[in-house]
Amino acid sequence: MGKLQKLAISDEGFIFDPETGSSFTVNQTGLFILKLLKEGKSQEEIVEALTEEFDVSREEASRDLIDFLEQLRINGLLREEKNV
Amino acid sequence: MYRVAVSGINAVDNPGPGVGIAKSLKKGNRELRVFGLAYDAMEPGIYMDWLIDKSFIMPYPSEGEELFLNRLLYIKEKYGFDAVIPALDAELLLFIKGAQYLENLGIKTFLPTQEQFNLRGKDKLPEVAERIGVKVPKTVVVTSYEELSKAVSELGFPVMIKGIFYKAYKAQNMAQATAYFNSIVSEWGYPIIVQEVVSGEEMNVVGVGDGEGGHFGLVGIKKLWITSLGKIWTGVTVKNEKLLEAAEGFVSAYSWRGAFEFECIATDSDIYLIEINPRFPAWVYFSTGVGVNLPYRLLQAALGVEPERSWDYEAGKLYVRYTDDLVTDMDRFQKIVTSGEV
Repeated sequence: MGKLQKLAISDEGFIFDPETGSSFTVNQTGLFILKLLKEGKSQEEIVEALTEEFDVSREEASRDLIDFLEQLRINGLLREEKNV
Repeated sequence: MYRVAVSGINAVDNPGPGVGIAKSLKKGNRELRVFGLAYDAMEPGIYMDWLIDKSFIMPYPSEGEELFLNRLLYIKEKYGFDAVIPALDAELLLFIKGAQYLENLGIKTFLPTQEQFNLRGKDKLPEVAERIGVKVPKTVVVTSYEELSKAVSELGFPVMIKGIFYKAYKAQNMAQATAYFNSIVSEWGYPIIVQEVVSGEEMNVVGVGDGEGGHFGLVGIKKLWITSLGKIWTGVTVKNEKLLEAAEGFVSAYSWRGAFEFECIATDSDIYLIEINPRFPAWVYFSTGVGVNLPYRLLQAALGVEPERSWDYEAGKLYVRYTDDLVTDMDRFQKIVTSGEV
């Protein structure tokens, strides 16, 4: 099971990693992305969904997604999600 | 109705495990009576009469085995008790050595063997780690300034300076390393452990080994907030497979008997063994709170009753310590000071 699947994610944007005991908070956009990642959506699909849900351009959505994914990696939350 | 003696009822800023053990025992069986073994009339557990039914002042273990065991014999003969759960480092060896004598008196224990007890030395950790397939931070054992200086230049800063059983400090430079070295030597003597600092998540496991390679439950936690003395104030349960497998491997490899605390640093890929304590930690009630009542299970094992072994606790349960106070009559203090029991 990938690391993301193990995370406990609340509707308020509270993330708990049961393996390390670390917790994080994300805003509504971060939560939106995390839910799609958990569903196994590709980066392309997530960018598409972001432009539909929020008032952002493709470029902006794509840049923000890359930033966010990097944050997840830095915090060890994307360890096994090689296809993302 | 069982009567059980528990030590370490010094619920102070560096708390002993006794009050957490007593709380767990009462949760396991409300009818059970708990005797507190204290070393000072000011130990708060003496005054917590809803958890500790009766308290006794004990002679210090350093005053000798005979005096100590005679005190237990007195309590046994006058009030009767079925088992004892010692919880303090300084008295453990005495209880281990005296276990057969206590058994003959009808006082049950469930303790590690002396060989198992010896594994707690930090100089033994590399051997344990190798046997159970985990890592240890690079470690050098030193007994002089020259060796300290050599070890530090080999490992680089920051570096951990530790006593063989107690105390651990992180040194950022040679001045700090020397000061910590001196401080530990003056209090605890040689040797001193100089250790690489491994960055990762510090996690602990509390458990009770059955003495045959299995266990009566494990609970893994991470300390979220500690006091200036390094004591847990807030913590969270974790389910880290590698950590729990390492703890199970330890219990199985050494057929560990009794309570233990297994302290590690977990990185993405490895588990580093930091310390093994042959007793319950002061936060043991955390295990009880998440449904794995280890002190009560240990008591059952001591009494020859097969304890429950399930330990499917939930990750993400929070442990919160807090300060509290109470007001009582001088009477209780007076009694324990004058008669040594109350």
